[in-house]
Amino acid sequence: MDQGLRQLQERVLERDLCTLCGACLSLCPYLGSHDGRVVRLHDCDLDQGRCFAYCPRTELDPDALARAAFGPDAELDVEVGHVEHVLMARATGPFRARAQNGGTVTALVTQALGDGLIDAALLTRRDERQLPEPLLARSEEEILSCVGSSYVAGAALEALGAIDETGRVGVVALPCQAQALAKMRGERGVALVIGLFCTWALHRAPFARFLRRRFGRRTVRRIDISPPPERLLVVATERGEETVPLDEVRALIRPGCAACVDLTAELADLSVGSVESQPGWNTVLIRSEAGWALLERARRAGSLELRELPQPDMEHLWAASLEKKRRALAALGAPEESYLAPAWVRRVLEAGP
Amino acid sequence: MDDGVLNLVIVGVGGQGSLLASRVLGELLLERGWEVTIGETLGLSQRGGTVVSQLRISRAPRPSPVIAAGRAHVIVALEPVEGLRALVRFGNPGVHLVMNTRPILPTGVLSGEQRYPDRQTIVAEAQGLSGRLTLVDASDVALRLGQARLTNMVMLGALDSLGVLPVSLEREALQGVLGRALEPRHVAPNLEAFDAGAALE
Amino acid sequence: MNPLLVDAPRALLMGNEAIARGVIEAGAAVCAGYPGNPSSEIIGTLAQVAGELGMHVEWSTNEKVAMEVAAAASFAGLRGMAAMKQNGLNVAADFLFNLSLSGSKGGLVVVVAEDPSGLSSTNEQDTRAFAKMGDLPLFEPATPADARRITLRAFELSEEIGLPCIVRSVTRVSHARGPVELGPLPRPEDRPTPAFDRSRPFYSFPALANHRALKRKLARARSLLEGSPLGSYQGPDRPELVVVAAGAAWAYTREAIALLDLDRQVGVIKLGATWPLPDGLLCRHLQDAPRVLFAEEVDPFVEAEVKALCAQRGLRPGAFHGRDDGTLPAVGELGVDLLVGAICRLLDVSYRSRPESYDQRVAALERLIPARQVGLCAGCPHRATYWALKNALALDGRDGVVLGDIGCYSLGFGPSGYNLLDTLHAMGSGPGLAGGMARLGSLGLTQPVVTLVGDSTFYHAALPALINGRYNDASFVMLVLDNSATAMTGFQPHPGIGVDAMGRPAPVVEIADVCRALGLKVTVGDPFNMEGTIEAILELLEDDEGIKVLVLRRLCGLLAAKRGPPARGGKGRSPAARGSGATKVTAAVRVDTERCLGAACGCNRLCTRVFRCPGLTWDAVTGKAGVDEAVCNRCGYCVQICPAGAIVQAEDGDG
Repeated sequence: MDQGLRQLQERVLERDLCTLCGACLSLCPYLGSHDGRVVRLHDCDLDQGRCFAYCPRTELDPDALARAAFGPDAELDVEVGHVEHVLMARATGPFRARAQNGGTVTALVTQALGDGLIDAALLTRRDERQLPEPLLARSEEEILSCVGSSYVAGAALEALGAIDETGRVGVVALPCQAQALAKMRGERGVALVIGLFCTWALHRAPFARFLRRRFGRRTVRRIDISPPPERLLVVATERGEETVPLDEVRALIRPGCAACVDLTAELADLSVGSVESQPGWNTVLIRSEAGWALLERARRAGSLELRELPQPDMEHLWAASLEKKRRALAALGAPEESYLAPAWVRRVLEAGP
Repeated sequence: MDDGVLNLVIVGVGGQGSLLASRVLGELLLERGWEVTIGETLGLSQRGGTVVSQLRISRAPRPSPVIAAGRAHVIVALEPVEGLRALVRFGNPGVHLVMNTRPILPTGVLSGEQRYPDRQTIVAEAQGLSGRLTLVDASDVALRLGQARLTNMVMLGALDSLGVLPVSLEREALQGVLGRALEPRHVAPNLEAFDAGAALE
Repeated sequence: MNPLLVDAPRALLMGNEAIARGVIEAGAAVCAGYPGNPSSEIIGTLAQVAGELGMHVEWSTNEKVAMEVAAAASFAGLRGMAAMKQNGLNVAADFLFNLSLSGSKGGLVVVVAEDPSGLSSTNEQDTRAFAKMGDLPLFEPATPADARRITLRAFELSEEIGLPCIVRSVTRVSHARGPVELGPLPRPEDRPTPAFDRSRPFYSFPALANHRALKRKLARARSLLEGSPLGSYQGPDRPELVVVAAGAAWAYTREAIALLDLDRQVGVIKLGATWPLPDGLLCRHLQDAPRVLFAEEVDPFVEAEVKALCAQRGLRPGAFHGRDDGTLPAVGELGVDLLVGAICRLLDVSYRSRPESYDQRVAALERLIPARQVGLCAGCPHRATYWALKNALALDGRDGVVLGDIGCYSLGFGPSGYNLLDTLHAMGSGPGLAGGMARLGSLGLTQPVVTLVGDSTFYHAALPALINGRYNDASFVMLVLDNSATAMTGFQPHPGIGVDAMGRPAPVVEIADVCRALGLKVTVGDPFNMEGTIEAILELLEDDEGIKVLVLRRLCGLLAAKRGPPARGGKGRSPAARGSGATKVTAAVRVDTERCLGAACGCNRLCTRVFRCPGLTWDAVTGKAGVDEAVCNRCGYCVQICPAGAIVQAEDGDG
């Protein structure tokens, strides 16, 4: 079977599976994006293309990728992939007040750049409309401008295409982006991947329209999602905070997210998310030696506080991660049609309730 | 000449000046008392299309500007594949084909959808389908003189020295015709091109 | 010395030049037209000598206006001429069919040059149907020499009967060159002073009375043309076949007869004054003909009329053959080979132009020869516009509809313009259709609507459609492709250029100003700015209100090449260059083969396979792109295309 742009178009773009990770955009002049949609601009007749090879939604074998990344004997939990250590962490720096949870990612990136482990960090910041914009950060100031999360999908990996010089890049990646990076195997000098937990991402154009309709001319300053049990979208404008029930916003989720099997960014060096029971702290899953080494540096430098993650939180996370896989498999329907490796799918289905 | 008419076809691609060549030739022959009828394709020629000029040279008028299929006596091809195309339409076992050697690739070839035959094939086919074949490196000469557009005049010069025309073209008369047809500053380069073509044999 | 002013007994003239010479010899004072192949050289050459001869020659904005301009001269007692291609007559028709009723005064000639087979047109159509419909005399020259004679006769007849007369030419006459006998040039003192005699007004109504009068005028024309040397018979007294040949078809017929050596068996009736039908000449030579072949361009017009004539007069010649019964093709241009084939079949004669073995070998060769596609020139700004439009439509993602119009950019229907055009009809049809298509939005159409017009087309026909779109609240995007030229037809000037047909300075009617005055949203851009143009178009596509006009201004590539660097991008000559007389030359474009990715993933020959400028070449052996210096226009646009930055153009330097 051919594995080029035409097949990418048929199997991913036309089936609404695209996650907007941006990998294909970084290397191909035949693809463009607008308003959160990846679009084929011209026909490419190559029967083998990197776009197909790097796309996380053409073919994905999470186990094979994990073994390639973490070693052939790496132990793989069916719920969360390969994990060496589990911790709770939070940053000690003043930027923590602006952070989503514990500011751990910012601290790690700052540490990596400061210690010269990377020459630049591919991050995402928000523009004046709170929509995501990739930024190749080379200074602490630039890193700090990216504090906080955007809930809208942005094609961050597209920015890798602009990298011409040699140098090592660290990427803060959503799970789909980490999958693409794993398939790219170190291309473009990517030397470090810090993963973010992710349940879904909002579709750019519909969400932008929603904001315009709901908030009209008001300046949207910040968007948050409040922790359970409320689960509200909290929007801060110059007139104060307003909440929107999350259910209203669910219609604006990217369709491709429904097919996602990765909650915890299983293919990163370390993965960072929230802690259900402890706002202000981050869950950290360390997966590789490089990840562990970076965490250690941050701890020794005093920029991170570390604690054990409470057992209930860990169990909750493992269960939520497995549940996400099950939901995606149900949404994907027939296994022959699915992009996921059949052996891996079987393993998940056999994992029991 | 059969039936008292010399049928001469000049073919090329838009931008090679084939229309000027036919006009110059026609006027020179008219001045010498010959009847001349010329048919031309214009319009889209500049946009990369084929340009064909059909000249009828005779004593008694031959008013048709179109030469019947297979009835050319001489084909002057400013571009190789156009020369082959002209053979398909106008060629016959006795035709004299005078062919410029430098290809101008059609866009279909540049984009990879079509193939341009190699030089050996072109020469072999041209040889097999004509009574006499003369190859002229007219484009090379024209480019050396500074302009691709001069290809036509180089070919005209070569044609003159080959003796296929009923009369030999006098340089002074040529200068006069060029002077009437072109802006003054273009006359000298065109004359130079003609001379260079005539000197090639 | 301009061939139109030559004072010699004979000259080698193009058919259009011969017509122009006839116009001059007739002492015409006012000539107007709109560029259109194969008619453009008529006004083009007249404009060059107009000043010297004290004539007024203009390029009008469209053919109806051109017709009216010429008619005005006629009403004031001067001789006038309007020239156009076949579709132009459609535009002029509303006026012409009123003019036939009002009559004219000074000789008035309408020259229509047709393009049978539509080789460089959107259609083919037969002018003689208009002559019949309008009850106007029509002449058809067969050669350039004919063309001059006929033009003179047409002016004379027009004055004799007080009606405009039509001269119908075709490509193979207009663009053929042949020896033409020349007549004396007029003396300026012979031309009357124009004056409008108010005791003789020109009204088309009352229609009935004037139509009756018109019929009488046409009948008078018939008797005046009786015995005219324009119609003749050549051949044996008892021919086996009579060919009725009108216009260019006569030349093919004569050639066919010469090739077949059948001048003792075949007689030819030559028609030069085709309408009204020369019934005397026809009846005389057809009544005993054993078989008749009609040879004429485009429609079997004479064929149908002669059949009616024979029925009326009770003549029963042998079988009729022509386009109607398949002896000749029903459509398309005739030629010598078709006439040879027809005559051979009718007389059961065999003919071979060359041995069968040659034909076979040539059939095999044909498969080897690549077709030559017509496309946009290297350096053409339309390619840049189409590239930007292609990208913008893909990014927009709603399957936008693109409605095309007439000009070089019509080539957008083909691969040269990325097959972007979805419709192509007549001048101004783009914005006209756009207004209609856009209204379907309220009925459920979700596709955005885009139309393109050139600068010359804008003045010709776009205005009523735009006003309509504004008034009827249509939402569409109009790209005006302003290359400062009526390029396809030969670079005639238009109201946006600042110079008239005769080379004099003229006021500029600015397209952007006109659109603003209509209340449309107007932006101006440079199509050579790739990212900027893509963004601009995308933004306009997403605006769902009103008509959005984007004027993309960039000089035609062919003009830019002629004029040199100062016309491109506004760079002037350096002081040093001015002093030394050296010319500044635009730097060559080249491909850095180290950077070129060629057929590899990440490029896959984007420049030669997708962008397709004829100046870019592909070397299959080295696997690298290159630039053909003989074709490259040095516009530098492709520098923006290459994903590897391998196409480079140095700074302009001294040449």
